[in-house]
Amino acid sequence: MTSMRHGSEYSRDLPRVNVLSRSQYENSTDNFSFEPEPELAYSLPSTFHLLDRPYSHGFSNVSEGFIQRHNRRPSDEISVTSSSPFEMDPVCREEKDLVGNLASMSTSERIKAIQKMPETMKKKREIRNKVLKEITKKTRHHSTRLSRCTQCLQGTAVLFRRFGNSLSEYSHLLQLWHKTLKIIGAKFGTSVLSYFIFLKWLLTFNMFSFLINFSFIIIPQFFAAEPNNLSFTGLELFTGAGYFQQTVLYYGFYTNATISKIENGPPYNMQLAYIFTVGIYFVICFLILLFSMAKSFCRNFINPQTYSGNASKLLCTWDFNITNEKAVKLKQKNLGTQIKEGLTEVNQEVLYFSVTERVERIVIHLVSWVASLGTAVAACAGVYFLSINNLKLFVKGHKNDLEGQAAMLVLPVVVSLLNAFIPFFYSWLGHLERFQTPGYQIYIAITRNIILKISIVGILCYYWLNIVATSESQCWETLVGQDIYRLVLVDFAFCLLGSFFGEFLRRIIGTTVCVSLGLPEFDIGRNVLDLIYAQTLTWIGILFSPLLPGIQMISFSIVFYVKKVSLMMNCQPPRKVWRTAQMTTSFMFLLFFPSFLGVLSVIGVTVWRLKPSEGCGPFRGLSSMYAAVSEWIKILENYTASKWVVWIYHNLITSELFFFILSVIILIITYLYWQIIEGRKTMTKLLRKQIINVSLTFSFILFF
Amino acid sequence: MGNKQTIFTDEQLDAYQDCTFFTRKEILRLHGRYHEMAPNVVPMDYTKDPDVKLPMQLIINMPELKENPFKERIVESFSEDGEGSLSFNDFVDMFSVLSEMAPRELKAIYAFKIYDFNTDNFICKSDLEKTLNKLTREELTAEEITLVCEKVIEEADMDGDGKLGFADFENMISKAPDFLSTFHIRI
Repeated sequence: MTSMRHGSEYSRDLPRVNVLSRSQYENSTDNFSFEPEPELAYSLPSTFHLLDRPYSHGFSNVSEGFIQRHNRRPSDEISVTSSSPFEMDPVCREEKDLVGNLASMSTSERIKAIQKMPETMKKKREIRNKVLKEITKKTRHHSTRLSRCTQCLQGTAVLFRRFGNSLSEYSHLLQLWHKTLKIIGAKFGTSVLSYFIFLKWLLTFNMFSFLINFSFIIIPQFFAAEPNNLSFTGLELFTGAGYFQQTVLYYGFYTNATISKIENGPPYNMQLAYIFTVGIYFVICFLILLFSMAKSFCRNFINPQTYSGNASKLLCTWDFNITNEKAVKLKQKNLGTQIKEGLTEVNQEVLYFSVTERVERIVIHLVSWVASLGTAVAACAGVYFLSINNLKLFVKGHKNDLEGQAAMLVLPVVVSLLNAFIPFFYSWLGHLERFQTPGYQIYIAITRNIILKISIVGILCYYWLNIVATSESQCWETLVGQDIYRLVLVDFAFCLLGSFFGEFLRRIIGTTVCVSLGLPEFDIGRNVLDLIYAQTLTWIGILFSPLLPGIQMISFSIVFYVKKVSLMMNCQPPRKVWRTAQMTTSFMFLLFFPSFLGVLSVIGVTVWRLKPSEGCGPFRGLSSMYAAVSEWIKILENYTASKWVVWIYHNLITSELFFFILSVIILIITYLYWQIIEGRKTMTKLLRKQIINVSLTFSFILFF
Repeated sequence: MGNKQTIFTDEQLDAYQDCTFFTRKEILRLHGRYHEMAPNVVPMDYTKDPDVKLPMQLIINMPELKENPFKERIVESFSEDGEGSLSFNDFVDMFSVLSEMAPRELKAIYAFKIYDFNTDNFICKSDLEKTLNKLTREELTAEEITLVCEKVIEEADMDGDGKLGFADFENMISKAPDFLSTFHIRI
């Protein structure tokens, strides 16, 4: 807090600010008695900033808050300080202060601070050069003896930075579809764009997963591959069975041996490679998801009070992304009608219902919830019995004829049909319910759809882990992998069909047959949920079919292009103002909570509890997949060099006490942070009240 | 840059990188865009920091800005002389603030400047009326406009001075989560 105050002190007298403030000051002394504005403005914004900042910044470090308060901030231009007119050369002194401060920061902090300055480029560069000079002076002053060494260090530091810069340039090459995204943003605005950014993000996830699976599991397997003696007819592409059973596509094909191609070279243990690759991938995924979710929350839910007032509608909603002429006109028209509607609705904001109406509404809500949950349960039951039937058919006879192949596809097609059509029923229910706000309706629809999708996936997981795994099939992991492969493939096909029927045909109907319908809008919610579903399937499938991320990668890129073309040809920009930022955050949360954590528990059960098949796969003959790790540790105990691994394993990973202590510590920290946040909340409330009180007192004094 | 013509020295590029949210490549691309608008005026060689400014008329015709209802104000807010002509530095500055990486505080400062049409450091009623006209393409009647503006001021004015200071504006923006993603121009 002290440093904050210090920062605001010197922010008052920066060059530009200073000139202005001085003249303002003189003015206000002239007509102090009847010109309230400068006084008010001076006292309020600065209090506000000082106090608002720590809250809104949350945990950002103090030194960042330090600089931003500088110059060119409109409110500071009129801020008046009593001290500045009496100082000898405040401009110089103050800049020195600033430079000194910047010089004492670490490089990345300094760059961030300079980037954040609301100054012209010229000024920023001046400051930067001064800071750099200051730093070199300091280092020279500090260590004349070690000059050679420091020079060397500096040289390497500069080299490192250059290297980092060039790396970041190459990472920009990886930024796919920059131009496409720009076009979509220009025509449809940020809300539709967020779907494509989400898709791209998932694509990079799968690409990463594919790369590590390919390099650590699949390439080594090629060295130990046995010849494939099954015939390839082409139908396997749809069913994933037959020929593919003996390829790297499925778990069952992988060897349990250690591979050593180089003589006397270290052997490659397939079991460990398999389990560690998948494990590490999930850990990385977990961290990435967690961090991006936290970042998104931090950026977009700074102040969770929903603010649907006119003020923000006017000043914050214009989407600077939109640069297409038609889209701009449409957006302007929509905003106009929205504002008009807003004006007429002011008086009807509070709706009063009589008792009977209220009871009626509650009954309707209850009935529609029962109906939606009932359909979900019915769908699950259907899927369950169908899948059991399917398994019987599969285990009984390995029919390789057309009928058998078609029977395999029944389950995924039914699942996809349920996933595609029940949402229409839900949106119909939503219309019946007549929610007060459209936002509420969207959230309820999304919740119901998520319940449906997750319960279908859940029942399938139950079927795989409890029924397929205990069946007397030769290699149950491969069966599960095939099931997931078919689900992914059929889901992909339905996604393409969906954009054909849902958007293309809808446009034809909307423009020719039923003109009142107009062009369709891109349904962001439904599309994002489809993506989350597909990603969940891929995550479940990684263990059983290591190549699945690669397949999903291809299908996602095709979906990207198809959706883009369909969007450009068929759709019109959304009429409603979407709370894009909050929506994206909640989508990310949905991907994390039911989807990713659910997958983790499925994988956990598979690895720790289930017995791998006897006749195939890298873990054949073990009691569980995890036994591979514990056996490896037993071997390691014989080597003194790797004692630390054994120690970590015994004392950290398998010890309950360690996890108990860890979770207690985390709970304590969480509790402390929660308390701090509560304290800050009350503080902000008090300060807001104070601002209002102060302004009231001022106007009161001036009035009399 | 090999045997290509050097546009910036390494030091210049480092400086640009330190002062904006762009990478080298993006800065070179921005230079390309800037050059493209007036190939005869803007030199390819920027190693000596030539004093070149492009008038507003050229800049607001960029496809990124052309249809933006606030294009004149955007350009004016970033021009050093306040007249609307931009040097390359101002140009980079502009897209840096409008880039994805820029933090909320910085964006808020410039958004405030953009909406402050008469540059009196307050968003007053006349500013709001102009904003409203630009947003809706003058579809509303005069009465409706005054009504909306009054409501907006009533809603967002915390200190009761009848106009919106920067603190009011920032407070409003902190409650509008979409601002960060919509106050953004892809270049």
